[in-house]
Amino acid sequence: MRIERARPYVVKALHAALNPRSIAVVGASRNPNKVGYQVCKELMDWHFKGEIIPVNPRATEILGLKAYPTLRDIPHPVDLVFVAVPAHLVKSIIEDAVAAKATCAVVATSNFKETGRADLQDEITSYCREHKLPLIGPNLVGLGSPYDSFNCGFIPYLPIPGHVGMISQSGANLLAALGTSQKDHYGMSFFVGLGNKADVDFAEFIEYADEDPHTGCIGIYAEGIDSPEAFEASAKKVHKPIVAIKVGRSKIGVKAAFAHTASENADPDKFFDDLFARAGVIRATTWQEFLDMTLALGMMPPAKGENIVMITNGGGAGLLACDHFERIGYPLKELKDISPELREKIRAYMPSFGSPLNPVDISGTADVVSYEGAFMQAMTDSHTDGVLGAICPTAVTDVPGVAQAAVRVVEATKGLNKPFVMICQGGQECQDAIMYLRDHDIPAYPTAEQAVNAMVALRRYGEIAKSKK
Amino acid sequence: MAKTKKPISSVTDSCAGPTPVPKGYNRTEPGIIGMNADQMVAYNIAKSFCNVYPEVFNLPLLAKKLNITAEEAGTRIRRMLAKHEIMLVNNPQVNVSGYGLFYWVVKLKADASPEARAALTKWFQENDQICTGYPMMAGGEFDYFNGNHMRNLDNLISGVLDKFRYRDCIEWVHLCPIRRLIRESHVNQFDCHADFRHYFFPAEQVTKLCRMQKEMDAIDFGIIETLNNYEHPHEMFDVSVLARLSGLDADKMAKDFDYTVEQVRCQVPMIYFNYASLGLKMRFFLVDFFPSTLTDAGEQVIDELASRPEWVNIFDFGDAQHNIILSAYDDLNDMDELRQLIRSHSEVMSIREAVSDHQFRRWTCRLDADSGMWEECVMTDDLFVDRTLEDDFSHIVASREEDTSR
Repeated sequence: MRIERARPYVVKALHAALNPRSIAVVGASRNPNKVGYQVCKELMDWHFKGEIIPVNPRATEILGLKAYPTLRDIPHPVDLVFVAVPAHLVKSIIEDAVAAKATCAVVATSNFKETGRADLQDEITSYCREHKLPLIGPNLVGLGSPYDSFNCGFIPYLPIPGHVGMISQSGANLLAALGTSQKDHYGMSFFVGLGNKADVDFAEFIEYADEDPHTGCIGIYAEGIDSPEAFEASAKKVHKPIVAIKVGRSKIGVKAAFAHTASENADPDKFFDDLFARAGVIRATTWQEFLDMTLALGMMPPAKGENIVMITNGGGAGLLACDHFERIGYPLKELKDISPELREKIRAYMPSFGSPLNPVDISGTADVVSYEGAFMQAMTDSHTDGVLGAICPTAVTDVPGVAQAAVRVVEATKGLNKPFVMICQGGQECQDAIMYLRDHDIPAYPTAEQAVNAMVALRRYGEIAKSKK
Repeated sequence: MAKTKKPISSVTDSCAGPTPVPKGYNRTEPGIIGMNADQMVAYNIAKSFCNVYPEVFNLPLLAKKLNITAEEAGTRIRRMLAKHEIMLVNNPQVNVSGYGLFYWVVKLKADASPEARAALTKWFQENDQICTGYPMMAGGEFDYFNGNHMRNLDNLISGVLDKFRYRDCIEWVHLCPIRRLIRESHVNQFDCHADFRHYFFPAEQVTKLCRMQKEMDAIDFGIIETLNNYEHPHEMFDVSVLARLSGLDADKMAKDFDYTVEQVRCQVPMIYFNYASLGLKMRFFLVDFFPSTLTDAGEQVIDELASRPEWVNIFDFGDAQHNIILSAYDDLNDMDELRQLIRSHSEVMSIREAVSDHQFRRWTCRLDADSGMWEECVMTDDLFVDRTLEDDFSHIVASREEDTSR
């Protein structure tokens, strides 16, 4: 159901929902093959720090935890009610949640608006709004935060701690991102699947993310935006970058989005382009681009200008990057046009056959000292707005050493508020370097195009942030 | 005691209801409605909430019929549910959903140790692929009567039977596919020839039972009977309560529910009486006809036996070593009379008897309260599963190795 603006009571409740001290799992089961059992078990296995309260009218104990017949029987209010029962039971459960003074309800159950039960979904939503009980879902996969070891839902992964607040309407894509988090060290601050977003909408999560101390970037996967006015107002209001991927662009995608999460996309895609532009939201086209952009924006400050310097030991990587910068509308400038002084300083870190253009090619023989010196000069030059480093592993390249040098440089130049992005294209040593760099809050990528997309997102957010002032 | 066989036509003529009575696994399937389909929602709501809100049942009807207040009816139901004396259950007509219904009888060797028996009993109880069963813990000529639904008979053989029947303690296992499901837990099922979904518990038996114990009285049994012997299925529940709890339309729920039970006949909802809770023992009669018995003659025997209300369960087997199994409460019946009733049919070659003091599951709902799993319901499905490929029969060896106590 639509909202005109993000509701303060909802935003406040989301703090409890995403950092709960207690979770009641309605539909908790004694049977290991059932979802309600797995939800409780996952919470325990991930060492959730709060209280887990199974609710099941036929069980007195589940997984060693005391079970209650209904929410009303729990002797104290709970922060979060997680509902994993069939749709026809949800109305009564929500009434119990209100009676039990729960702070927030998450309904994982499907079979609502997406299958024609819009009236039931709306009735439950209206009831929730009347009683100021925020309802997340229905038809969602779950939510959580690695900072509290909180993983609630049908989710086999807990992401590594990081800076991206992931708000996804798709459970599958959320799961993909969570899997990526572990595999590729894509850190998150929190994650939530919105599903049908009957009540709590994007706008409220955006405002929550702005208040969440762990979140550096807000990532949104949307199939439909039911309350564009609220979305725009909240996006304009917040002080953190937002990257959105809005699907359903194709004709058949429009139908699929409705069947999936009851998302209605009557508006042409240009509507969303315009909405995002007005709201200061960066729109990603592909899933990979979405991940790459959010990673960088979560870790790095925006680029305040277009003076981006690229430092590489491989001409090929540099050329790929140059072409892609230009292709997406942010061509690199030559180094002499950015900073003639830097051009001269940086020569000290390259052999005579190196190239002090932009990209700056410090050559395949570059050692750790050359890299560290060039990085440091580029970052500290007053005319530069960001640095893109690249490693191509030649026989003499100390890939781990260069990665460590990058970490030292970024640490030393933190106060300058400039972004630093790395490309590590190569074999396992490069993959290891990427993980190492990401673990140290440096966005690093295996291809030039990914890194350029990330740097351009940092630049675009620099423009957005400036326009918000 | 009825001894005269009716011609088939007259038996058929006695069919109740406006639709043809389906008969066994060769019948025309009346339609497919999934257990979680919208049409099933009334039962599902009631099942989910009945322990907390007994008012999902038709308390006004109970009050009227039994001359008690609705409140008392609700209190009694709540008590019986809590004490595991009753359970709201649903018999799905699994054939409609593409399953076969298979039972099997197990006989242990005479020298099987108590430990071997206990291990096997535990294995049956905890195996989700075995959706019901009766251990004959009170003795007899066979030891278990278990059953399950399977889409693929090979899956039952490889996935269940092969995993225990090679234990040293086993004398024999006889697979008994269900030709007709006639009565289960006092209620006539889909393949009865008369009185579909009628609940049988003769008044004299109830009176006797009420004298034998103090846990349940005549009103309690009246509640069970009234809720089971509804005129129209939706009358079992108070659909206005179901609507209030779910937010769904009461009239539509009632209509759908009646349709699924009366027209499609894909489910029989019922109040299950847990005989073990009162310490009752159930005697099973496993009946073999002479091999020369013609099918129609055998079917007449079964239908005549099924006309008697004493039987709690009546299963008709096809393609099996045995032809029928019937059960009745040891403590409430004249067993000699029932035995003679069966023997009075010249087609009957032999009867094996065994006595059970409890049931593993009421369909898929667990009845073992001690495990903490009371009423936990697991509906298994072997769709897309080929259990013959599971592990190259290594499970047979494994099952032998498990059986070390004999």
